Amino acid sequence: MAKRITIDPITRIEGHLRIDCEIDGGKVTNAWSSGQMWRGIELIVKGRDPRDAPTFTQRICGV
Amino acid sequence: MEVPLNGQFIRNLMMAAHATHDHIVHFYILSALDWVDITSALKADPKKTAQLADSLSSWPRNSYQEMAAVKDKLKGLVASGQLGIFANGYWGHPAMKLPPEVNLLAVAHYLQALEYQRKANMIVSILGSKTPHVANLVPGGVSTAINLDSPSALNMERLYFIKTLIDEVGDFVKNVYLVDVCAVGAMYADWTKYGAGVTNYLSVPDMPMDTKGTAFSLPGGYIANGDLKTFKPITSYTDEFFRDGVKESIKHSWYNGDWTKHPWDETTDPKYTGFQDTGKYSWVKAPTFNDKPAQVGPLANVLCMFAAGHEPTKKYATLVLETVSKIAGAKVGPEALHSTIGRHAARAIRCAVLYDEATTQWNALMENIAKGDLAICTKYPIKAGESRGFGFHEAPRGVLSHWVVIEDNKIKNYQAVVPSTWNSGPRNQHDALGPYEASLVGNPVADPDKPLEVIRTVHSFDPCLACAIHLVDGKGRSLNKVKAL
Repeated sequence: MAKRITIDPITRIEGHLRIDCEIDGGKVTNAWSSGQMWRGIELIVKGRDPRDAPTFTQRICGV
Repeated sequence: MEVPLNGQFIRNLMMAAHATHDHIVHFYILSALDWVDITSALKADPKKTAQLADSLSSWPRNSYQEMAAVKDKLKGLVASGQLGIFANGYWGHPAMKLPPEVNLLAVAHYLQALEYQRKANMIVSILGSKTPHVANLVPGGVSTAINLDSPSALNMERLYFIKTLIDEVGDFVKNVYLVDVCAVGAMYADWTKYGAGVTNYLSVPDMPMDTKGTAFSLPGGYIANGDLKTFKPITSYTDEFFRDGVKESIKHSWYNGDWTKHPWDETTDPKYTGFQDTGKYSWVKAPTFNDKPAQVGPLANVLCMFAAGHEPTKKYATLVLETVSKIAGAKVGPEALHSTIGRHAARAIRCAVLYDEATTQWNALMENIAKGDLAICTKYPIKAGESRGFGFHEAPRGVLSHWVVIEDNKIKNYQAVVPSTWNSGPRNQHDALGPYEASLVGNPVADPDKPLEVIRTVHSFDPCLACAIHLVDGKGRSLNKVKAL
């Protein structure tokens, strides 16, 4: 009988990740990777001078 | 559109230093504790630990005194009842296999890694004013003024301080990080069988060495089905094979509609509908390269550079495979790299390659300044009417690309397809699993209530989800390379 586990959030990473697994006989048989956050910077840069985009978009990742 | 040579070399130096910092942090701080049992280190004999370390490396900070001091520090931490950064871990898990001495050595290097990642980051902040979110990158070059007579600009003292930092970090990478990854890899050799997942590998060339960005110091390209003979290079910032190959699907992502589009033609219209196993279940879109999922990151990068015949990559990859074989007592070949532990090995190989590369870039910068060239930036005009551009960069987690449509000097559409989007993406338009998902299927799980093995495989990709939500990684550097086509 397959068992379903949800790991949410996965820690020691940057951001919010959820992983779902079906486990059967001591092995993973199916998996889902789910990003759990949304930010929308692509909408923020719309209508702006293209030369300003790097300043906005680099704020996305602090790693 | 050209970037002055100093602009290229300063950017390249920052990319090499940043990625070195990032890879060290990932192995020691973000993922070592999946393999290293901190509590077991308390049972280690510091003398035996120092002897073991001496047999693997000539690193001067592996002494008995250093190991004894780390063990005392750890004892004090446990006695205090407040484990701090070590509070949350699967200590004593049946999948933890390292002997106490190796665990103690790893804890000692975990603490040393904090010092050396900071040195690598100092290079980034000297050139970029601060980090993260460096302040010196502009379209057309950098704003890092070079003036050998000024204490407040990039001068000879700063340049030689950078060289000192490069060498200090390089010593750590070659004598500690690379060696530790070999030891952990050899002792967890069974993990070379798990976690391959998607074996189509995508990587882009980086470290442009001329003003036009047509010659690259590090090669990139595409490998299909894990077969290095299929390697096809990507050769320029306007490469059509890359430009036309990238698409994204939202069939399983929380956006309005069900389409597969080229980034220039996409829309960003969020629509959350809850977690549906067979429907939409992620904010991350599913990128494809020529209609197939692709794995990106240090493993893809190392395999592509290896296939392209890049000498430093061949040198360090051979060194790692030979060292692992020696410690494991059995021959370990390149096929072992297509795995969970192989992603760690590839990241360490790439980190050593980047140390060599940082030295190359520093030398190139010094030689160019010595010629009297102090130019750092070219003015970047925007053409009238509509134009389209894209830029790419081989970021620490893999291929990053930004796509822009410009109309009347304003951004009309903008899409970023970032490394963790490629790897953490959900099922695509054909319901094929994304790289994280595919790599998990077949993983052993000793105890479903403590799924350490699942975490091992996910961590081996070095996830960055803040970026994966269809945004940007690597400090937006790629945008500086956007080319109007």
